[in-house]
Amino acid sequence: MMTMEGVVLKLPSFTQLMNPNHFTNRTSLNLRFTFPKSSSSSTASLSVPAAAPVSLGHSTRHDFEILHQKVNNGSKLVYLDNAATSQKPSAVIDAVNNYYRSYNSNVHRGIHFLSARATDEYEMARRKVAAFINASESSEIVFTRNATEAINLVAYSWGMSNLQPKDEIVLTIAEHHSAIVPWQLLSEKTDAVLKFVSLTEDEVPDTKMLQELVSEKTKLVVVHHVSNMLASVLPINEIVQWAHDVGAKVLVDACQSVPHMVVDVQNLGVDFLVASSHKMCGPTGVGFLYGKSELLAAMPPFLGGGEMISDVFLDHSTYADPPSRFEAGTPAIGEAIGLGAAIDYLSEIGMQKIHDYEVDLANYLYESLRTVPGVRIYGPTPSATVHRAALCSFNVEGLHPTDIATFLDQQHGVAIRSGHHCAQPLHRYLGINASARASLYFYNTKEDVDDFVRGLIDTIDFFSSFK
Amino acid sequence: MNFIMSFLLFPPKFPISSPIFKPLTLYTFPLSSPKRLSLIKSITIQSIPTTPSPPISASRSSYEPNVLQSMEELPKKLQEIVTLFQSVQDPRAKYEQLLFYGKNLKPLETQFKTNENKVKGCVSQVWLRAYFDSDNKNVIFEADSDSVLTKGLAALLVQGLSGHAIQEILKVSPDFIVLLGLQQSLTPSRNNGFLNMLKLMQKKAFTLYVEAEKGIESRPEIQNPMEKVELDSKIENSIQNFEVDSESNGDSNDSKDVGVLGSRGQRMLEILKRELKPIELKVNDVSYEHGGHGGVKGSNGETHFNLKVVSMDFEGKSMVKRHRLVYSLLEDELQSGLHALAIEAKTPTEVTKVDS
Repeated sequence: MMTMEGVVLKLPSFTQLMNPNHFTNRTSLNLRFTFPKSSSSSTASLSVPAAAPVSLGHSTRHDFEILHQKVNNGSKLVYLDNAATSQKPSAVIDAVNNYYRSYNSNVHRGIHFLSARATDEYEMARRKVAAFINASESSEIVFTRNATEAINLVAYSWGMSNLQPKDEIVLTIAEHHSAIVPWQLLSEKTDAVLKFVSLTEDEVPDTKMLQELVSEKTKLVVVHHVSNMLASVLPINEIVQWAHDVGAKVLVDACQSVPHMVVDVQNLGVDFLVASSHKMCGPTGVGFLYGKSELLAAMPPFLGGGEMISDVFLDHSTYADPPSRFEAGTPAIGEAIGLGAAIDYLSEIGMQKIHDYEVDLANYLYESLRTVPGVRIYGPTPSATVHRAALCSFNVEGLHPTDIATFLDQQHGVAIRSGHHCAQPLHRYLGINASARASLYFYNTKEDVDDFVRGLIDTIDFFSSFK
Repeated sequence: MNFIMSFLLFPPKFPISSPIFKPLTLYTFPLSSPKRLSLIKSITIQSIPTTPSPPISASRSSYEPNVLQSMEELPKKLQEIVTLFQSVQDPRAKYEQLLFYGKNLKPLETQFKTNENKVKGCVSQVWLRAYFDSDNKNVIFEADSDSVLTKGLAALLVQGLSGHAIQEILKVSPDFIVLLGLQQSLTPSRNNGFLNMLKLMQKKAFTLYVEAEKGIESRPEIQNPMEKVELDSKIENSIQNFEVDSESNGDSNDSKDVGVLGSRGQRMLEILKRELKPIELKVNDVSYEHGGHGGVKGSNGETHFNLKVVSMDFEGKSMVKRHRLVYSLLEDELQSGLHALAIEAKTPTEVTKVDS
């Protein structure tokens, strides 16, 4: 796991790094990277003295003011919809606040003090993202509005200039709509063919089938890292191997993985990777695309306008180098800085630690949910070799997920999601219209899971009495 | 006319912890129940009436012009259902009541579960069917859903609206769900489904009516002759303006164009009659002409009016002063969704001069 200090030393060409003002806006410089691979029971907060082991959920909760409220009929909020969006710690909110209060200014253009400072912080955020996923250079990070826009960027910019009719794109049926629709739109324009991998009996994408589908005709493989419905994890290393063997590129949708575990793009070998800030404790309105330098360098622009140009004439323009080439107009400056602060916050805890805690919590959620009669959970069964993400999509026999979610919310303050979770093809494959989903993050606790299960049992009882 | 109220249209999206729902009297004497402030945020009462509340003449809904349709305007069966729900305070019990309705709903045959009958914008699947009863006068509804709570809501609407005349069905504003006290118990997105359910029912009822009318000669009240495949907005506009002789006013000497006025038009008529004692008064609802216009969106029609007032009170006043007078009398309406007035204000002498 790259440390922030490590990044600073690695890119000495940025002389602004020497500016001590940098560090005033970092939320915490006491980086505790010396923690060994620890279990979920060790302390993470700076302020808590090392007494009895406190779970990560308990120790981080006080950073999230929003979790401490009552909803509806006076029940305390139990937020279990993190796959939809995460909550933001005070540090992130303060960072965005501070940006607007102290140095809000347009980036890259101005010469004055505020502008220079805003530019520094904005580019610092880019470096933080690069370090977070171990990109080799910060210019491999393109800030977008969100992961969806990042995928569209690749589809439009890389796809339009690299795909010929009959070229194939391999995807799984478990992809999020954002990872399917842009390719459908692209295939209408370029006559490329979309091929879908279905699931095995264990309800994970069939990697054997994927390997078989990848052929000389394949130009791109689009896969999720962690499924937002099945909670399964794909073997990205192997998939990249198969793809590169036939000269195909790989785009990984890491929206559900980057927030929850260590993601190392150089290790994985992916060509493109996308993620959203709002799922990883950062603000909405910003996300990013990682692309290998040589790939980005060869890609034509996506959106045209200011910032992405070099020279503008009346009859033509020349374009900037990546990443600027793909960042037209004024970016979400404060939000990107907020994302940087989120990365600081997460790094301080340690992604490995977060992951270990969540594996434990995921098992607890799965096992607890399984004890409820009539519940049918989707995705693989957890085991020593199969790790599930800390989320469960499920249905209860004879009940509509919307009824479950409504009652849980109204009577117990438990926030889960019901619907198709932007995965209609997956639902259709499983033969269902909709499902309910509870998804956790590192600030959830086992007590949250208990509250949820208790509420669920009550909900089922209530509706059953009407049968 | 003695006070001005401004408040949020709907209860807040983040539900209040304990829904306090007062019985019917709430709507006639709002100022006497301060607890109501907990229901609707930021009420500012700018002046307190010195006289007791205005006569219960035109319509009780003059206190909440845009928010809550008065009970009396709802179809009879729906009124009963509303009363029932209001008598149940506990949210859980309200759910049970809702589920009870759903359970007793006559199932919908599979052949009617078509795309055309599906309610859009529902998180669950809801189908609606409408047909005429044997007399071809009243509309019967049937519905179904895969979610029991939604089925309960659908059952509520089916029971409340079935067997009523088209005019009554079309008059129903979705606001009445607030009267049920269910909005606090159900999520906003579910309520949107409710809105769409009601709209679809009204649309289907209207379509039935139009098709029936085609068999007879078409009546002048229909503003836009309909084909079944008309755009929703057009249908909804005509639904909003669809008032068939249901609100006749007694005095035919002083007022004209009574046949097509809704509750706001009625109120305006009353106010102008009472305050200006006109010898001629015309109130025309021309909201349909402003169909796509910003002022109309989100309202229940009745946003644009043409007025003609002939009164002694205008004597000695300039045109500007006359218009100001009319505006001040209709202040309430302007605050609550009335968007524009085209005013013709004359004195009796001016009119006779022109006429002769």
